[in-house]
Amino acid sequence: MTSDHVEPPRSDPQPTPHRLRRHLGRICSVLIGGRLDKSASRIRLVALAFAGVYCVITGKLIYLGLKPEAPQNLRHAASDAVAAARPDILDRNGEILATDVKVMSVFAEPRRIIDKDEAVELLTAVLPDVNAKELRERLGSRKGFIWVKRAVTPKEQQEVFRLGLPGIGFLPENKRVYPNGPVAAHVLGHANPDNIGISGIERYIDGQGLADLHGAGLKIGPEELTPIVLSLDLKATHALRDELVEGMTHFKAKAAAALVLDVTTGEVVAMASLPDFDPNNPADALDPTRINRLSVGVYEMGSTFKALSIAMALESNKVNLNSRIDASAGVLRYGRFTIHDYHAQHRALTVPEVFTYSSNVGSARMALMVGVEGHKAFLRKMGQLDRLRTELPESAEPIVPKNWGELNTMTIAFGHGVAVAPLQAAMAVGALMNGGMMMTPTFLKRDIDAARKVSTQVVRADTSESMRYLMRLNAEVGSARNANVPGYFVGGKTGTAEKVIGGRYSKNRLFTTFMAVMPADHPKYLFLTVLDEPQGLPETHGYATAAWNGGVVTGKMIERIGPLLAMAPRIDLPTQPFPLLAKLGIGLADITGSTRQR
Amino acid sequence: MWRIVHLLAIAALVGSAIYAYSIKYETILFAEQIVKIKHQIEDEHTSIGRLRAEWAHLTRPERIQALAQKHLEAQPLQLSQIVPVNELPERTPRVDSIGRKLQDLGISGPTNTPHDSTPGGAATPSSPR
Repeated sequence: MTSDHVEPPRSDPQPTPHRLRRHLGRICSVLIGGRLDKSASRIRLVALAFAGVYCVITGKLIYLGLKPEAPQNLRHAASDAVAAARPDILDRNGEILATDVKVMSVFAEPRRIIDKDEAVELLTAVLPDVNAKELRERLGSRKGFIWVKRAVTPKEQQEVFRLGLPGIGFLPENKRVYPNGPVAAHVLGHANPDNIGISGIERYIDGQGLADLHGAGLKIGPEELTPIVLSLDLKATHALRDELVEGMTHFKAKAAAALVLDVTTGEVVAMASLPDFDPNNPADALDPTRINRLSVGVYEMGSTFKALSIAMALESNKVNLNSRIDASAGVLRYGRFTIHDYHAQHRALTVPEVFTYSSNVGSARMALMVGVEGHKAFLRKMGQLDRLRTELPESAEPIVPKNWGELNTMTIAFGHGVAVAPLQAAMAVGALMNGGMMMTPTFLKRDIDAARKVSTQVVRADTSESMRYLMRLNAEVGSARNANVPGYFVGGKTGTAEKVIGGRYSKNRLFTTFMAVMPADHPKYLFLTVLDEPQGLPETHGYATAAWNGGVVTGKMIERIGPLLAMAPRIDLPTQPFPLLAKLGIGLADITGSTRQR
Repeated sequence: MWRIVHLLAIAALVGSAIYAYSIKYETILFAEQIVKIKHQIEDEHTSIGRLRAEWAHLTRPERIQALAQKHLEAQPLQLSQIVPVNELPERTPRVDSIGRKLQDLGISGPTNTPHDSTPGGAATPSSPR
């Protein structure tokens, strides 16, 4: 204790007040000029009066400090009710996909409104879309704060202001706007009037801690939030959607979806699912026909699944590209079931022929070589049997047969019997193309190194090269010729699945898929197009299979989107596109598809 | 002696009171200015945000495409129009096409001085007749 040392020992307590009084007295005598002893009682009286005044002031201050104030309450209620700021959502090039704008909202404090009926009458006169009955009910409630109308126009605000009603006020709020309308709507999702993410990336953002920040009462301005950068490219997404809209109307399809996946990073660069909705008008989003068909819909992918079956057979070393598969009958019988070939050749087919003629029999035989368990394990490794989870909260579980027997393996080999989300199938084919690296698709921007870290090797590099060769071959001489855009060295695979109507496969209700990869020697982008119930047209000779519609639409997309994604068309074809296969003596027969040839 | 000290003390008191008051007054003024500028910044932020949204809305590819189709006669880009830089043809020597045209017309040649065609006339009809 230092105070003991500092304080001098007190011998007598009396002298100090005495000295003080004497001192005070001297000052008073100087000031007043009177004598101390006479005015001592008066001074005491004055001091007492002052002390009294100070006590009153202190008391009042304590009272004011403790009293819960009405305006403070209002501010609190308002800050809870006001739509909080959200970070901007940008595309990979920094274009705005979603942003906040400040708007004015009209609120009321029911306790401060004197004549509620008059207030309702006047307010509904200037704000005609406010329900009078409902407003009267809410004004009659005991709440301290209610919204009259969110996001009014400046003109409406002026009119309400002119009414001069007590207890009616304005608060600035954040309103979410999507300047591009329906472009990328399914990825963005939407936010409700309180600016809480309801679906898509908007909901993902809330899940990343934004909701907690707002819940803690932190007031965050939009400029303090880091924008979310998506993997999407706005221009490519628009071009993709535009071509898809055209394709869907042209082929009179019920629905359609398309996707561009960067196979080196797993980024979704563009996607569209039709019919779609405008997130500025979120009521449409609830319509079940407007779901995201790429991640929420599950479909039998048809022959595009043959790529997986052949990759599986190659990976297990049961076949190589020179093996011959017996398809001479054109049919394969299993019990009372018969598998037919659409383009039956009635001879033994090589593995590339199985792919280019899209032989059901050939791929069923190859899957049987691997066996049921091997088939299951391979598809699981390729992510086809489990729910695919991306940043988008909406996803769907694949439909997998409960009792998976040999017959199931045979049909699944050509894409019937397992229904998966198209995005999931694209992920697997992407892994077959990029050298065997399986990476979960993402909607957020990432680079190759980050993608490599989260990916696993699922097939050997030489299997991947064989699959690229098959895709390229199919675009040259097989069913994917319609998408063989000169200069881009495209590889592709068609798939036509019959839809199940009333428990039976229907011959004329088709679900067509098309996958294309460009360039086939060093794949960068995978294009996927699906069309639901496209119709045959005179120019397609009445055919409604994937080659005639999906292939054509995808070809147009590649032609238009390739330059947007800075893919330079090559005039000369690569001299050694498939080096490993060239060593085995397998090469492409002819060099169609260069710009010089056309 | 005491009187002077007291007077000085009073003067110091009054002086410090005035000084404190002026400081306080200035502080209030600055605080008001800060609030005003903060509001201005907020307004600017708001309008920047609004303008950015507006710009994004007006330059959305959908609208640009519709406008281009309506007002421009440009064709969609063909892949064959894209060539690598080294395939570009050599730049042709610069030709002054307007100059050449003038030369062809013979306008750029020396203009003859008009002369009086009447016999015995002066080379230049300088004097009025």
